[in-house]
Amino acid sequence: MVEVTGKPLVPVTLVTGFLGSGKTTLLNRLLSEPALDGTVAIINEFGAIGLDHLLVEVTEERFALLDNGCVCCTVRDDLVETLKRLPERRPLTRVIIETTGLADPAPILHALMVEPELVATYRIDGVVTTVDAVNGLDTLARHTEARKQAGVADLLLLTKADIASPEAIVALHTALAGINGTAIRRAAEHGAVRMDDVLGAGAPRHLDHALASSKEAEHTCADPTCNHAGHAHHLSDIASHAFIIDEPVEWARLRQWLEHFAALKGADMLRMKGLVAIAEHPEAPLVLHGVQHIFHPPQKLAAWPSADRRTRLVFITRNIPRETIERTLKKFVGVSPAGIRSAA
Amino acid sequence: MSTKHADLVLTNGRIYTVDAVEPWVEAIAIADGRILARGSATEMSELAGAATRIVDLNGHFAMPGIVDVHNHVVMGGQAELFELALPRDARLDAIIALVREAAEKAEPGQWILGAAWGADAISELDNSAALAALDAASLGHPVCLRDETAHNRWVNSEAMRLSGISETTPNPDMGSFGRDAATGKLTGMMIEAAAGIVERVASTHFTEDMGIAAAAQAIKTLNSYGVTGFLEAASMQSVMAAVHGLDQRNALSAWAVMAMPAVEPNFLFGLAGDELFALRENYRGPHVKPDFVKIFLDGVPGARTAAFHEAYLEDPIHGCCFRGKTMVTYPDLVRWLGKCEAQGLAVKIHCAGDAAVSQALDAIDVVRSFNGPTDLIHHIAHASYIHPDDYKRFAELGVAADLSPMIWYPTTFLEGHRAVMGTERAEKFWPNADLIKAGALLAGGSDWPVIPNPDPWNGIEGLVTRENPSGAFAGQALWKEQAVDVATAVAIFTINSAKAIGIEALTGSLAPGKSADIIVLDQNIFEVPANRISRTQVLTTYFEGRAVFERA
Repeated sequence: MVEVTGKPLVPVTLVTGFLGSGKTTLLNRLLSEPALDGTVAIINEFGAIGLDHLLVEVTEERFALLDNGCVCCTVRDDLVETLKRLPERRPLTRVIIETTGLADPAPILHALMVEPELVATYRIDGVVTTVDAVNGLDTLARHTEARKQAGVADLLLLTKADIASPEAIVALHTALAGINGTAIRRAAEHGAVRMDDVLGAGAPRHLDHALASSKEAEHTCADPTCNHAGHAHHLSDIASHAFIIDEPVEWARLRQWLEHFAALKGADMLRMKGLVAIAEHPEAPLVLHGVQHIFHPPQKLAAWPSADRRTRLVFITRNIPRETIERTLKKFVGVSPAGIRSAA
Repeated sequence: MSTKHADLVLTNGRIYTVDAVEPWVEAIAIADGRILARGSATEMSELAGAATRIVDLNGHFAMPGIVDVHNHVVMGGQAELFELALPRDARLDAIIALVREAAEKAEPGQWILGAAWGADAISELDNSAALAALDAASLGHPVCLRDETAHNRWVNSEAMRLSGISETTPNPDMGSFGRDAATGKLTGMMIEAAAGIVERVASTHFTEDMGIAAAAQAIKTLNSYGVTGFLEAASMQSVMAAVHGLDQRNALSAWAVMAMPAVEPNFLFGLAGDELFALRENYRGPHVKPDFVKIFLDGVPGARTAAFHEAYLEDPIHGCCFRGKTMVTYPDLVRWLGKCEAQGLAVKIHCAGDAAVSQALDAIDVVRSFNGPTDLIHHIAHASYIHPDDYKRFAELGVAADLSPMIWYPTTFLEGHRAVMGTERAEKFWPNADLIKAGALLAGGSDWPVIPNPDPWNGIEGLVTRENPSGAFAGQALWKEQAVDVATAVAIFTINSAKAIGIEALTGSLAPGKSADIIVLDQNIFEVPANRISRTQVLTTYFEGRAVFERA
């Protein structure tokens, strides 16, 4: 999220992806770029990264169950401590966090969204999820963790695209579009990705772009292999639902609706992003960002990123019908039935 | 008609079934504790074999057992068995004499618990001389005496010592220790939150066997009034253990639905919320159903702790515009409801003020809108001050109106409400007829021991007359337009309550296949003048076809 006022926040890029999906190769490639001053990578273990001039922090996976028994709130104490200490120790312009292959990225995002010291220092720049183009489809079908990792992504990076068949790549694109229709998808061959490609993956302009360019997707479709985004007939329990609301909304009502959504469906809302035209000040949008039941304090942008000034909301959810979101938006936010449309 | 022989035939009665298909029958045949058939005396005699017991009802009126949608059985039994009964008008000398008598009989170290002294006696008790008299009379036993509001206690020095309260102990939040006006010394008067400090210690001396004995006593009392099913509305682990323990001894002669508190109430102690819910299957039994949760959303109007849309009358403490407040935030209420529904738990929400009712209905609407419909029936408990816009929402949301305690006629409670909100508003109390018109499910309850006994006949008469059955407030009625007829009042205390607490398939009406929960009365409540219904006496109570109460 972009702070409109105050000191500049240090961007944090989260790199996640299933076991063997090429996270470390990606990280190696990124860290080999020359313009790395002030970048710190936080990894889980020393391994393939043999660039000893780099600033690398190592953390151990250590999970804590919170008092409320909610596993999804689990925050990695040591990671939080590491992030808190970093600015004291060195000049800092950017942080890249690599998770383990089986990690649920949500707790790390939660820590960045709710820990007061972290909120004051860092912003989430984006979540990059690596997906192996050869085995990815199978991994997504078999592993909940892999689907969640894809669900929270701002950028889905298809690795090993050079050795995968064109059919496999198409099928993977289709599956990923179903899970997370608004993430940027990009193929990487031999880890050939530049820092610039992954920076700012979560910026509002991407959301603006993704939804502005999408076509109407709400229609019935009998073809189970179709590659229309926004359908629920893909392999996954996880799906993305995007909405465009024509008229500005009342912030108090939307906020209460978001609270209800988080309270009742938080565990199944992997990620929520939104650009919102608020009735009280439609000249600039509010940026919303939620991970499960935690919402980042909404940020007011200085101006709309494009000429499109409609509210756009994206939900990556698990087993939540699109109809539930749409119906409750109409009922509790007072959106007129004609004023809401689905986007891919 | 079945060829199976009945174990028992009740015949020659005027039996009201609370079933529109066949409202009146002469006889009922029972086998294996269930109703085998109902009909004329001749038809039922055909189901009798050599071993069948025939009971001649001699023309007496009979009906389904009463279902109490809201009570506190263990507290009720405890009061009857283990508490010293203080007459409400008892003054210092009488209280001291009763304590001494109890202390002489008590086992070494035993707590002496008693209730209830009148709220107007406080100045007489709240001083050093009175405490000295209490200490002398208690013969070294700890003593804890509750006042009629249940907010305050008068305790002796031994009880304070065991509770860790000394002259230097600071007052707790939301409470205070009484001090002698002349000497500044503790008087043993425990105001509000201070009462909980002593009660918590006293409660540790309450054993599981005492709990089971209290539950047994309560069931005996309930059966004597014709009650054969109930919802216990603050089921802490000790309460569930007591009721379940009784069932394991085959001595629970009533259906028991348990409502587990989401948050530890200020008058009961132990696990609450998720930790308590997690234990619920340990206490399920043939007659015990831990399928409800209790949430206290607000307090009571008389103490200005109920949440209203409009302000209370101005007073020095709260100022001009105080509306009361809810004790659970709206998002938390939504969260609790969502969590409970996901676990198949219905929720009984205490809502004494109309704003609390609105908020509870709003929260249920939110949960239903996001999560879709369920078969769970949530309860608005003490559904008495309700904004007219909310009447229709009970039916829309499938929410039951829990009518308890039985004060839908002029009482001292109503006097208290008049004092805090004025007569006109105070009397818009219990819009029962309007709720029925709006399609709501109304279910009757006692809230015993909030009222001294769980007598449903008082409640049924009051629903019909809106006048106080005891003869108090003679010539006065409360919002007479909200009266209902006898058949409706009977349904409210039988089938409606059974439906509300999820045992409709088992009881609440007399139909083949249902439990043979039948009560025989000394009068036909449809034929006597309405103002005599409260005099009804139960002659026999059958639970699962067994006579569990018979009037001597």
